Order: sequence, then structure tokens, then C-alpha cells
Amino acid sequence: MLVLSGAAPVANEETNVAAQTVTGTETTVLQYLAFSLAGEVYAIPLLGVKEIIEYGGVTPIPTMPDFVRGVINLRGLVVPVLDLSARFGEGRTQIGERTCIIIIEQEGRDQDMGVVVDGVNAVIDVAPEDIEPPPSFGAHLRVDFIQGMCKYQDRFVVVLGLAKVLSVDEITQIADSLQERDGP
Amino acid sequence: MAKTIMIIDDSASLRQVVGIALKSVGYNVVQAENGRDALEKLANAAPKLIICDVNMPIMDGIAFVKELKSLPEYKFTPVIMLTTEAGEEKRMEGQMAGAKAWLIKPFRPEVAIKAVQKLILP
Amino acid sequence: MSMDLSDALESYGIESHGLLDQMEAALLAMEANGPDSESINAVFRAAHTIKGSGGLFGLDDVVHFTHDAETSLDAVRDGRLAMDGPLIELFLKCRDHMGALVDASLVGSVPPGLLKSGESLQERLRTSLGQPSSSQADPGVSEEEIERLLLGVGQPPTSQDNRAAGEAWHISLRCGTDLFRDGMDPLGILRYLGTLGELLHVTTLADALPALAELDAESCHLGFEIDLKSALNQAEIEDAFEFVRAFSLVRILPPRSKPEQWAELIRALPEEDDRLGEILIKSGALTRADLAAALGTQVAAGDIRPLGDILVEQLAPREVVAKALEKPELEKPARDNKVQTERHVRVEAGKLDRLINLVGELVISHTVTSLRAEGVADTGLIEAVKTAGRFVEEVRDAALALRMVPIGGTFVRFQRVVRDLSHELGKRIELVTGGSETELDKSVVDRIGDPLTHLVRNAIDHGIESVDERLAAGKPAQGTLRLDAYHESGSIVVEVIDDGRGLNRDRIVAKALVRGLIESDEGLTDQDVYAMIFEPGFSTMEQVSNISGRGVGMDVVKRTIEDLRGTVEVSSRPGAGTTVRLRLPLTLAIIDGFLVAAGGLRFVIPMDLVEECVEMPEPGRRNYTDLRGSVLPYIRLRDLFSAGSAEPERQVMVVVGYAGKRAGLVVDRLLGELQTVIKPLGDIFAPLKWVGGCAVLDIGEVGLVLDVPALVAKAERREGAALRSQPWRGGIASNSANRGLTSEQKNVYIS
Repeated sequence: MLVLSGAAPVANEETNVAAQTVTGTETTVLQYLAFSLAGEVYAIPLLGVKEIIEYGGVTPIPTMPDFVRGVINLRGLVVPVLDLSARFGEGRTQIGERTCIIIIEQEGRDQDMGVVVDGVNAVIDVAPEDIEPPPSFGAHLRVDFIQGMCKYQDRFVVVLGLAKVLSVDEITQIADSLQERDGP
Repeated sequence: MAKTIMIIDDSASLRQVVGIALKSVGYNVVQAENGRDALEKLANAAPKLIICDVNMPIMDGIAFVKELKSLPEYKFTPVIMLTTEAGEEKRMEGQMAGAKAWLIKPFRPEVAIKAVQKLILP
Repeated sequence: MSMDLSDALESYGIESHGLLDQMEAALLAMEANGPDSESINAVFRAAHTIKGSGGLFGLDDVVHFTHDAETSLDAVRDGRLAMDGPLIELFLKCRDHMGALVDASLVGSVPPGLLKSGESLQERLRTSLGQPSSSQADPGVSEEEIERLLLGVGQPPTSQDNRAAGEAWHISLRCGTDLFRDGMDPLGILRYLGTLGELLHVTTLADALPALAELDAESCHLGFEIDLKSALNQAEIEDAFEFVRAFSLVRILPPRSKPEQWAELIRALPEEDDRLGEILIKSGALTRADLAAALGTQVAAGDIRPLGDILVEQLAPREVVAKALEKPELEKPARDNKVQTERHVRVEAGKLDRLINLVGELVISHTVTSLRAEGVADTGLIEAVKTAGRFVEEVRDAALALRMVPIGGTFVRFQRVVRDLSHELGKRIELVTGGSETELDKSVVDRIGDPLTHLVRNAIDHGIESVDERLAAGKPAQGTLRLDAYHESGSIVVEVIDDGRGLNRDRIVAKALVRGLIESDEGLTDQDVYAMIFEPGFSTMEQVSNISGRGVGMDVVKRTIEDLRGTVEVSSRPGAGTTVRLRLPLTLAIIDGFLVAAGGLRFVIPMDLVEECVEMPEPGRRNYTDLRGSVLPYIRLRDLFSAGSAEPERQVMVVVGYAGKRAGLVVDRLLGELQTVIKPLGDIFAPLKWVGGCAVLDIGEVGLVLDVPALVAKAERREGAALRSQPWRGGIASNSANRGLTSEQKNVYIS
């Protein structure tokens, strides 16, 4: 199993986490990346994670919703960066020593997307049958943001449904509604 | 070392298909889009056999074969001309110029392979 | 044989459409100027290539149909058929049909309906050739026929099948003296034979070799007696000699041939009978008894059956060869150098994009290098970096030019549209194009085709009147549609101009009232009214005609152009015509920019728009100032966002101008000129119309490229909205963006 150096800050170097679903000797396990955000641990499928970089060099883009922190230049490619905490309606992430950006590849889209998190914890293996459906309430998170629940260090953590969290359509709509309000 | 075959035709897809076909049986393939282009590429390619369309812009197949046959190093290089069934006259002209083998368009890739093999094996 | 031809098939599709376009252009040229051999050749070549390559993929429907077109074209080339109006019309239809067949074949099978319509065209082609119209056997493309032609065999393969395995064929080969010079090699032939079966015995005959003194090393004097064990049939074995038999002597005896057949063979070969007999016995082809029988029969050879019945025919069509040799100089090929097609290499668009991205990176990293070099104070290094810089610039220009294409290619396509539509509607319309050489980015070209088509159709359908109507109005019977392109301050302008009846203000107003777009037309200028045709759901015609009213409206045109960060304007004079003007960015990729800073962010203003920079005057309550006696409205870039940093004491104003408008952009600092690659900011930023993209700056930072027209339009809209909410100020309900910034009055109203 690949563990991302515990909780140490991830270097700016290309941390290759491309290894995806591990086909074990007998069963297939799903791999998730666990990270922390505002004191909570969340998980996302490792499949879409391209790399993890240190937070920095984010150019803010005016008139965008506050959960869009801006864009970064990733080796010549422009990648939008979202603030997950703000996206969940919990205020912007405080930038700290361990803050990093997870670069996520989106199916069917040319452009990757970055999300700001407080720190990356580990890659966890979960058997498909161990993924629980989301609770109907109590997660304090939009239900459609939750793909399911899985166990990490004996606690249930939310597996995020990235399709919705990073939904370009939804973000575009919100940004659109801001356009005639703000600005010059 | 695999023998190199040069395909000269203004149709890129034709070159591509014939190229794929010949490669599949072990030849090396170099493409050119007309006679002029082919003459420029000759020295680097050093083909052992040339497949050449008759009807091409800039420099057609007949003119190309005439030029080719005037070069000492290609005097004995076989040339397969590509003609149409209507092109009997052209075929004669090609033979005069020095191309004694021909293929009639349209043909399937397998036919091209066979024609080449008759002249040189990979 | 397994070969992956999917890539090749894709390029066949692209290539075919390119050829079909050339074919169409040539046909239309002939329709306008009468037939000429150059155009006829171009049409022929297109059909020829599509058929030839199509055959490689086994696209039988394409081959089948194109064959008929080619046959007719051949008749035209030979002067047997005149390329007149009806025939051009027919070939245009054939051309369309070929396109449809190619497309259908590429995605799967050809629907029966399409084949049906092809048959009627083929029927017409045959009629035009004066051939018996109805379905006789196909002229020449039956499977067997093709096979036969491919094999080059004079007659169909013999029906008798000699597949008796284990039996040996006997082959006698006497090479033609020119064999080497023809590029053939006897060894190659033997090797190939080896792939057909087992070579039991090969005897080389050097009998024909002349004395050494007379020997020409380039001539071939060899002969072979070959015994081949093969399960193939006669035709298949003959086929091995396809290329040599024309000039060499080839005889093939099937296994278990009769003595008289051997006798014939021996008699036909140049060598002495006895010597041949010995060779045959030695190789095991014949026993001594067989030979005796054969030679014995020879005595009574007089009444032997005709050669051809038993022995394989001498395969060369000798008389044809002889005829050819009599004709030392054939007519010059009908083609001359004028028909040169440009030499092009097709490159996947993605590769170009990548190249341009990389060049952008190169430009950026070079800037950093030169800055560093200057810090070192090493003159040699600075010189070297400068030299590199020149090349970087050249590489950049060259890379960008790769994606620039003249708009003419797009214009040309409309010849056909105009021709077909005017025929259909019974109107007389001439298409005139100008500025075809104007270049713009391929990605822009690709996307303006549809909007232009719509505008052209619209002009023909609604704009230009019928002949009667025109004559009644004292206009020439023939209407004119103009497509023009030219550069103007960093943009390309494309105009669609007709000399038709012009837009009808009253009807537009009436429609807009019905649709609830306006409450009254009071105070609306003609411009305002005309602009409403671009509103969603607006269509001036009561009946949706099948020409221009196909669901896509002018609003779609407008949206497409705006997506390209362009603008659409319309102007019209009743009775005189309508002009639609599209203003588009030249390239979506690289710009000369002017870098400025405001509120901690950096922005790039396209250099072509920058007129001057002036010191920001005392800020007043209103956002306009006096620039040498004229009113200049301005926008504070800091207002784009709630800038955290304190406003600097002195600010600068960059004066920008485009399309007759001027405005000021107030910034904190000027950072100088730069050349940069525009990168898309990303889908989620699409609502930010005022951002034209972004540029990666030297130290990995990102600067926003301003779309100045959009930025100004946004400012106008906001103030227009403010006006509308105060009815006594008399705003209009429609799009005030079209009125422009120049109205002094407007700026005075606004508070």
C-alpha cells in the first residue's frame, strides 16, 4: 500500500500517485485518498488524483464565487483551484504549513481541477462492499456531494462525489449570476 | 535489414494503407506525394522498389520514372506503376519509361503485397 | 491479414472531402467561365483518387458509384462528351452523392435510400453517355472483372483445377534480355515461387550467354527449367510471372501433362531438343520413356491440337507491346504545371496546439533568461541570449503562422450555396468575395462556417428580391451578395452585404411587440430596432421557410460569434440592402500585450487596442474625463473586485480604442509590453466575458487578458440597467450595448 509519508507536507515534486485500483490476489479493492479539511477527514477516489502540490502561486480571479480561489500555473497549464471548505459553505481554508492542492483529473474534460485541503493523510484500500451509503442527514453536507461512507482509522469518513462537487455546470451558473452584480 | 519500399501517390490515405500493408509483412516504407517529392527523398530512403501512381500533380509518374531510370543507382530498381483500367495508354507509356510492373486501381492491400513480393521479398 | 486501418480511413475521409471541394470549385468555375481542360482534369483527378483509395479500403459502394462518374469524366476528357450546363449540374449532384457515400461508408454501411438515389444518378450518367440506359450488366466493375484486371490475365482462369497435391508443375522461363533493366531479378522470381510451394528442381541455363567480349553485363541471358510442387491452380502460378511475362518467355506445364504437351514445350524452347530432354530427365520431370514418347509424337506433330488448348498461352499481349514500340513519342500528357496543387502536410490540430503552447513556454522562459543574464553583466552571455531571442521570436511567428489560414477557403464554399439557393428560389444572385487572402486562426475559421452560412442563406432568402421585384424597383435583375474580410485594429472583420430590400423596421417592431421584447418603439433608433433581430426567438418571416428558418436563428449566430469573443452588428437601408458585420479576434492564441497592475493583480491589454497612456486626472464623481477636448468614459480595473490593498496615490489611465469607440482603463501601474500565449482560463470561468483568457507570466504567475469590448459592453449594460430602473431618464428596453460609448449625452445622464 502506498502511504503518502504520513502527514508530512507533500513536496512540490511530482508525487506519483497514479497507481490505481489494485487487483489483489483474490479480490479487487478500491483505493481512496484521505485528506483533512477543517478538522474533518474526507476521502476521494484515488483514480482521478494526478498529483499533490504545495499550496502557492494562486492568482485570484475577480468576480468569481468565493470558493474559487483562482488559478495556478502548473508547468504551463492553467488549473483552476477550488476551496473545498468554502464550497461546503464553511468559510475559506486558512492557509497553513501543510495546506496543499490536490490536482484532480476530470473525466471527459481537458482541464484538471485543483482543490485546496488542509493536508493529505493516506491512501486507503477499501473493499467495495465496505462502502456504506450516505446517511440521509447529519453529515452537514449537501447529500449530492456525498458518494458514500468508508472506514478510515475506525471512523466513518465521507467519500466525496467529485462529479457534483466540481460540477462545471453548477460553478458556471453561480459565477454567471455574479457577473452583473459585481465588477465595474 | 528490412528492404525499403517507396510509395508515391498524391492520396495520403492510399499511401497510408499500402504502407501499413507492406509493413505488416516486413518491409520498410517511405512515402512521397509526387514525383518531385520522391526524387528529393530518394537519397535518404534508398528504396529497393518503388510503387508510383501515374496521375499526380507537380510531377507525374511517367516523368518520375524517366528521371529515375536516368540515375545510375536506380537503373535496376523495379517500379510498380499504379494505373486505372482505363489507362492502357498510360501503361504503355510507363513501360516505355521503364516501369514494367503495374497495379490497377482500385486494388486491395493484399494485392499490393503480392505484387511487391513477386519482385522482392522482404 | 490484420491491419489497423482506422487512422488511414480517417485521413481518407478528410482527403476525400478536400478533393470533393476541389471538384466542386472546378465545376463551378466551368459553369461560370465554360469548360477548360485544367478544370476537367481536376474534376477527373478527384473522382479518380477517391475511387482508387476507396478501393483499398474495400468501400465498394464508393468505388462502384465513382467508377461511373469517372467513366463519364473520361468521355469528357476525350472530348466525346461536352461539359455543358446540365452535365455540370449532374456532376455537382454526383459530387454531393460521393461525399454522402464516403461519409456513410466511414461510419458503417450505406443506407439503401442513399444507394437508390445513387442509382438514378448513375442512370443519368449512362444516358448522358448515350449508353443503353437500363440495368445491363455493370460496365466493368463486377468482382470477377476487377479480379481479372488485377491479375492482368488475358482471359478468365482456366476452369480446370489442377490442385492435385504432390504433383509437380513444370515451368520454363527464358528471361528477356532487358529483365535487369526493368528492375526484375530472376532470383526474386525464384524466391517468390518458393513461397507458392516447394521448388523441387531448378536448372539454370546459360546457353544464351554470348561470348565474354560481347557480353553486356546489364543484359540478362538466363533461362530456367523449374519443377514446382504446389497446390495452387494454373492461374495462380501464372500470376507469379505477371511482371516478367511481357518480355520473357514463360511456359507452364501442369502436372501429369501428356507427351504431346511436353513435345510442344520442347519444340517451343530455343535450346536443342536433346539438350532439353537431358535436362528434363535429370530434373526428374520426365523419364527417358516419357521423353521418347514425346519426341516420338513430335514426328507426327502435324495434326496436333492448337497450342493454346494444351499449353499455357504465351501470356504477353505481344501485339500491344509491338504497337507501343512503334509509337516512339506519345502525345504529351494533357497536364501542365498550372494545375499544381499546393503541397500540404496534414497535421492533427492537437499537435499544433501543443506546439504553440510549448512555444509560449519558450518565449516566457527566454524572458526570464534574458533578465537573469542582464543581472550578471557578462556581455558575451547577454549577446548570446539576445541572439537566442531573435530565434525564439522567429520560431514563435512561424509556429503561429501554422495555424493561420486564409478565409478564402471558407468563402469559396458559398459559391455552391448561393448557386443552389438562387436556383431553388428562382432568383438571380451573384456572389462576390473580397479579402479572401485575409488570414485568421484556424480555430476561428472552423467555427464561423455555420454562422456565415446562416447569414448567407438569410440574405438570399429574405434580403435579395426576386427578379421581377428588383426590376420593378429599378434595380438590376441580378442581385449581388458580397462576402468581405479585412483586418481592423487587431480584429478581423467579415461582412455579409446584400443589395436587397433592406430590413423592415415596422415589421421588426411589430414582431418585437408581439414577442414582448419591447413595450413601444418610441425613442428607438433604427440601429436599436435592427439589433433586435438577434434576440432569441425572433424571426421576421411569418412562415418559416425551409431555406433560412431551420431552427437556428440569428440569435444563434450572435451567440456563436460572442463565444469567439467577437461581435455582430447589422446596418441596413430600406431598398438598398443590409450589411451584417462580424468582428472576430485574429487569433485565439498569442497576443502582443500591454501588462498592467491593478489591485495586486496583473492584466494584459491587447496591444493593438492601446492608443496612449495618460496620467489619471483628479477622480470625480462621474467616470468620464476630458481627453483633449473630448469626453472619455473610463473603467477602474480595481472596481472589478474589492481590492484589499489601498488605492495608490497616483494612477494611470490606458486609453483603448476599437471599432470607433474609445474608453479609458484605470490601473495602478504600467509594467510594459510583452508577447504572450493566451491560454483558456477554463470552463468554469466562461461567464467572465471580460476575460479573454490568461497568460502565464515569467515567474509562474498568471495574468488575465482583458477582452476590452466585452469589458466596455459590461459597463454599458450595467449603466443601461441603472437607467431602465429610472424610467424618467428614458432608457430603452433593448440592448444598449449596440449604441456604443460615443454618445456624450448618455454619459451626462448617468450618475
